[in-house]
Amino acid sequence: MALDIPKTRYTGSIKQVKLGGGDKAVTIGGETAYPFYLFEGQMPNLPKIAMEVYDSPPQDWAEAALEPFAGVTGDPVAWAKKCIDDYGAEMICLQLASTDPNGADRGADEAAALVKKLADAISVPLIVWGTANHEKDTEVFRTVAEVCQGKRLVIGPVEEGDHKKIGAAALGYKHTVSASTPIDINLAKQLNILLGNLGIPDDMLVMDPTVSGIGYGIEYCYSVMERMRMAALTQQDERLQFPIICNIAKEVWKTKEVKIPESEDPKMGDIKKRGILTEAMSAAVLLLAGADVLVMRHPEAIRLVREILAEMTAA
Amino acid sequence: MTEAEKIKVHFKPDNVEIVVDRGENLLEAAIAAGVRIYASCGGSGTCGTCKVTLEKGEVETTRTNKVSDEEFSQGVRQACQSRVLSDLTVYVPVESRLEKAVISRERERVSESLATGWRFRPPLTKYFIELPPPTMKDNTSDLSRLLRGLKKRYSLSNMSVEFSVVRKLAKALRDGDWKVTVTTLVTAAQPGAKGRHEPKLINVEPGDTRGRHYSLAFDIGTTTVCGQLLDLNRGRVIADAIEFNQQISFGQDVISRIAYCQKPGGLEKLQQAVLNSINTVIDELLKKKKVNIEDIGHLMLAGNTTMTQILFGLDPVHIRMAPYTPVANFFPPVRASSLGINVAEHVHIFAFPAVSSYVGGDISSGVVGAGIYQRPELTLFLDIGTNGEIVIGNSEWLATASCSAGPAFEGGGIKHGMVATIGAIEGFRIDPSTWEPSVTTIGGAKPRGISGSGLINIIAALLRAGAISQNGKFNPDLPTERIRPGTDGYEYVLCRAPETQTGKDIVLTEVDIDNLMRAKGAIYAGCQTLTTSVGIRSTAEFNQVIIAGAFGSHLDIDASITIGLLPDLPREKFIFIGNGSLLGARMTSFSTDLLDDARRVAQMMTNFELSDSVDFMNNYVAALFLPHTHAAEFPTITKELSRLQKQRARQGG
Repeated sequence: MALDIPKTRYTGSIKQVKLGGGDKAVTIGGETAYPFYLFEGQMPNLPKIAMEVYDSPPQDWAEAALEPFAGVTGDPVAWAKKCIDDYGAEMICLQLASTDPNGADRGADEAAALVKKLADAISVPLIVWGTANHEKDTEVFRTVAEVCQGKRLVIGPVEEGDHKKIGAAALGYKHTVSASTPIDINLAKQLNILLGNLGIPDDMLVMDPTVSGIGYGIEYCYSVMERMRMAALTQQDERLQFPIICNIAKEVWKTKEVKIPESEDPKMGDIKKRGILTEAMSAAVLLLAGADVLVMRHPEAIRLVREILAEMTAA
Repeated sequence: MTEAEKIKVHFKPDNVEIVVDRGENLLEAAIAAGVRIYASCGGSGTCGTCKVTLEKGEVETTRTNKVSDEEFSQGVRQACQSRVLSDLTVYVPVESRLEKAVISRERERVSESLATGWRFRPPLTKYFIELPPPTMKDNTSDLSRLLRGLKKRYSLSNMSVEFSVVRKLAKALRDGDWKVTVTTLVTAAQPGAKGRHEPKLINVEPGDTRGRHYSLAFDIGTTTVCGQLLDLNRGRVIADAIEFNQQISFGQDVISRIAYCQKPGGLEKLQQAVLNSINTVIDELLKKKKVNIEDIGHLMLAGNTTMTQILFGLDPVHIRMAPYTPVANFFPPVRASSLGINVAEHVHIFAFPAVSSYVGGDISSGVVGAGIYQRPELTLFLDIGTNGEIVIGNSEWLATASCSAGPAFEGGGIKHGMVATIGAIEGFRIDPSTWEPSVTTIGGAKPRGISGSGLINIIAALLRAGAISQNGKFNPDLPTERIRPGTDGYEYVLCRAPETQTGKDIVLTEVDIDNLMRAKGAIYAGCQTLTTSVGIRSTAEFNQVIIAGAFGSHLDIDASITIGLLPDLPREKFIFIGNGSLLGARMTSFSTDLLDDARRVAQMMTNFELSDSVDFMNNYVAALFLPHTHAAEFPTITKELSRLQKQRARQGG
């Protein structure tokens, strides 16, 4: 007698979202089954990796993370080009760290000019990430959205406290919104509903569940993302059927474990390898949980993740 | 030791004066003087409802952020945070006052008692008997003569006798010329126990007093004490009375009351407060019908576990601490007069049995009164107040849970919230084109604040009009001055200062909406969690929803479903029974069958603890949205809201 392998009954699929424009545009989402359950459904668009670029030279990065970008960290455009040309970045994520009112507090106009300059210089999709300060992000993104009209940026984080104003700006100038909530399935869904009520079309919305790296609660992130996919794919939960973006690089590289030198704690092992592997392994876990876009930093970690992706999807 | 200096405190506008020791707390002084001040936090300084204005004299006060600089300079102080230093004149403003008269408002669509199939056979019975006088041939004792006569005439046997009866017996028999009326009482039989009830002989009176046969039914609520005078000959309620539970000045919810009991003398003070309320209600009931106090034979009461324990003088401390144990679920009958209730010595109290610390006799009483345990149909029973009590089940099984909703439904934690008395805004409409409100108040008085049900009506209407979004935040871009920035985020002006009793604007703030969302979220998540815990797929499977409680009876069903407090079921499935606790107390006063059922029902209920349930937390976060994160839970509301939104978009564009 033939063995009948049980199959999950899927009743929904993830919406497809096109990021950027032109021939380097990227489409994400569209899954009809759980991540990598290729025996049950399709993943028409493989998860994509966006490489991080900062708007000002990073001050507290681990040596290992700075090394691949030596000479370009002072110039975001050169940095982005290096990512694309040398490391094959499919997308760029510009972190507007210097707009932080508790830091350099760079003004909205200056930030917008930089975003415009970078967007003009590259053809891959551009994600622009703020500081999660509601007032400042609102000010910055209103200007960015207007100045970069037609660039089809991805703007984030858009949170409950600033979703109306940033959402309206994104809607007006046709940018995609990254809805950010503190790792909770209900809060994520609520923000998606609110953005929908605001008029953001479904193909202009991605969600950022707020993730962490290995050793900092990634199990919890995994289980929340897993539940989001279960709700979206098997429980007809339409307001959760959006691609997921995971901002993992800064979570991994800020931890004590990737920064502490081997001389201080010999059992931690080689510092460079340690940082790369932590980033790659964290990213791999999130892929399995359902990430559609990973924001990553180290080229070697990215190479490893691409290898995993290729093996997981090999016919 | 020198005697403490005496200080005179004069309270306006009551114009009463009290002499206290220097350093006495001003709130305690007010309570002692009989001035009723609203203090929802129980005197911890956190609620800011007990503000008074100093007109003359000096206090030492601990300032909190509840008093603004402007208020402070005008002499406004929190009574609970102030100690009197010199002779004082204090003005108690209208918003800090607890109205003397609570109005008892009955809903029109209240269904009377839903329990069926019971016989009219009160546990308290009077028998008239004529005995042969003793002779030299038959000189058996008075008591034996009485018992022999009762056995012969009424087949009463196996009776136990209260000693107080023996004490009165000789005189009563002779005063009545061997014609006396005796009173017997049965208590609830043990579930499953075979055999008959064993009546207890509790009173004997000379002559025939059967025509004067009364008892009392009480609901001892955290906020109010409701009593009914019952005529046991006719099986009818002949008078109703209601009073605030005087404990309210010591804190609004059970937790603050339990906390107060931990202060020295606290338990005694709270016990005395509720006894005063009960005695006031009894006085009023008797006066209304000119009934003599000696003709009251029994007192049936139902209250939550904390209220019952405080009334009996039992420290409720363990109710509050894990693993949350009550002293007893089934209390043996107690003599009412021994506690200080003004009734005759023979009157016993029967307190409705409780299920757990947070599912009390008020709930088992409601379940008995509503007859849920008698029918095969699946029923959801909800008693909504500071605590949401939930019962689901049918004649086969009953499951209960309790969730803390916080004081929002009774006006606590709401900037201009108040209990539902005269002047509380209850009705609300908004013009969808101008955003102008029209409000109606209880009693038609000038607005003074917002009642709990008013709050629900207001938020539902604002949501439907698109003035607030589904996360409870105002839309500040609307072309109206009614929505403005305030100290707690944006706010909506319901009434402008000249239209109000307080002379200040009455507003609804985003923080108020948040507090209401938490309260309704807790209730709905409680229902949902209990429903799925017993293996029912969704709230849609209920055949009937019974809403009990004073707050519940003034709920607008549509508004309550709109904000996601009640499940989205066909509206005809909802039934109001008013005060379920009082209903059960009354019905068991009429029927020994139901009295037996009460004990059985309390034991039949399985309590589910929600406080440590992961599902509950999850459902709770999902319910913190208007009406709910999962649109499928509220299909008709979702459809209606999106219809209204489209309509607005059409008109706007």
